Amino acid sequence: MSYLRHIMALVQKDIIAELRTKEMLNSMLIFALLTMVMFNFAFGSSSAMKAVSSGLLWIAFLFASLLGLNRIFVHEKDENCLDGLMLCPIDRSAIYFSKAISSFIFLSLVEIIALPIFTIFFIQESFLSHLWLLIIILVLSNIGLSVVGTLLSAISINTKARDLMLPILFLPVIVPILVAAVKSTELVLSVSSIDTQQFWIDITVWLRTLAIYDIIFALVGFLTFEYVIEE
Amino acid sequence: MSKTPPFICIDSLDKDFGRRKVLNGLSLDVCKGEFLTIFGPNGAGKTTLLRILSTLSGFSSGSIVIDGFEIKENPAEIREKIGFISHNLLLYKDLNAYENLRFYGKMYNIPSPENRISELLQKVELDHRKFDVVGSFSRGMQQRLSIARALLHNPEIIFLDEPFSGLDVHASGVLDDMLEDFKKGNHTLIMTTHNIEIGLAHANSVAILSGGKIVYSKRGNLPDSDDFKSIYYEYAGDKA
Repeated sequence: MSYLRHIMALVQKDIIAELRTKEMLNSMLIFALLTMVMFNFAFGSSSAMKAVSSGLLWIAFLFASLLGLNRIFVHEKDENCLDGLMLCPIDRSAIYFSKAISSFIFLSLVEIIALPIFTIFFIQESFLSHLWLLIIILVLSNIGLSVVGTLLSAISINTKARDLMLPILFLPVIVPILVAAVKSTELVLSVSSIDTQQFWIDITVWLRTLAIYDIIFALVGFLTFEYVIEE
Repeated sequence: MSKTPPFICIDSLDKDFGRRKVLNGLSLDVCKGEFLTIFGPNGAGKTTLLRILSTLSGFSSGSIVIDGFEIKENPAEIREKIGFISHNLLLYKDLNAYENLRFYGKMYNIPSPENRISELLQKVELDHRKFDVVGSFSRGMQQRLSIARALLHNPEIIFLDEPFSGLDVHASGVLDDMLEDFKKGNHTLIMTTHNIEIGLAHANSVAILSGGKIVYSKRGNLPDSDDFKSIYYEYAGDKA
């Protein structure tokens, strides 16, 4: 139980600090919204828009998440607060899971604001009957981005070029999650024009891919984080 | 001198950073209630030694036993016993003083930390600023809060890495008083410093670390600062 209490306290601390400064949330949100506005100007109401809309959505969310992940350990590096945490009698994987949960919360907050704007700009067909599926896709994808990004952010924070290092490490590793997220989102956004049976077969494959990826990388993070942050 | 087993026992400790050997077969015993000051030139390995003792860094070979716990096998038990004070604050500047201490109280599993937080904030004379964000504090106030953070869980062992570095007169006075309280309270302390006067003022034993090993140590009847300077130059070959 104390493991969960430690995670809760760490997440609460991150949320209080972020709500006080809003440095990370503001930059993530502005980036996501600007991307959508620019793509809206570029594609207008062209026929190509339908084909690329799910890709546009995930480009915006992916790079917004990168902005957040780059800063998730910055507070811990200031005044060596990570040392302060490592001095505490807590399991070090609690630090990993708390950071992944904080990243998940911040990314989800940005998506809650950006998704309705994306729908207004880019979606012509109603997918409301399958909105719940889109929410599952977002949740599974956010978990994947957070568990991978937190681990790689912990690695990059100790390097000199940490702002450059995270994208270099992060982008190749999250290709499977990006493909699964884009393909499954595309299925949901065009649900009315696809055969129902085929839709369920395809969406199940992609959701399963996302879930397996999340579990594997959460385990990798849990097992390796202690060694990543140790000198 | 004492027949009881040492409280902190370091045996043949090696620490390498790549090809560079920072600690080279270091052995040292510290008794319960002892206040040991470790002197040494820059790069001698003082900070590395304290980081290893406080479980922040690993080591290449050797063994460390603290209060019967082997450091590699029981790091959590050792972390409950130690407080670490350094020139780094280990505080969150976007949280206020109370939030910082409450957060660390949860990390140390202190059941209801409010009384302890109030007591410590009064001790470091910051109770009137407890709801102010730490980023708005002066460096001296931040250092005082950092001392309160390190003592929150009432540690038996306190490691102090150049604790007086960057302190203003007020904060130095608060730390001086606290060091005397620790001595009376039978805490075990290891402090590293360059300042011979400050180091000798509080300690009841001293050691000189040079070239990655203890080259001189003395327990009780410490020399005065002038004599110790001569000893220091002889063993460390450097001006303190």
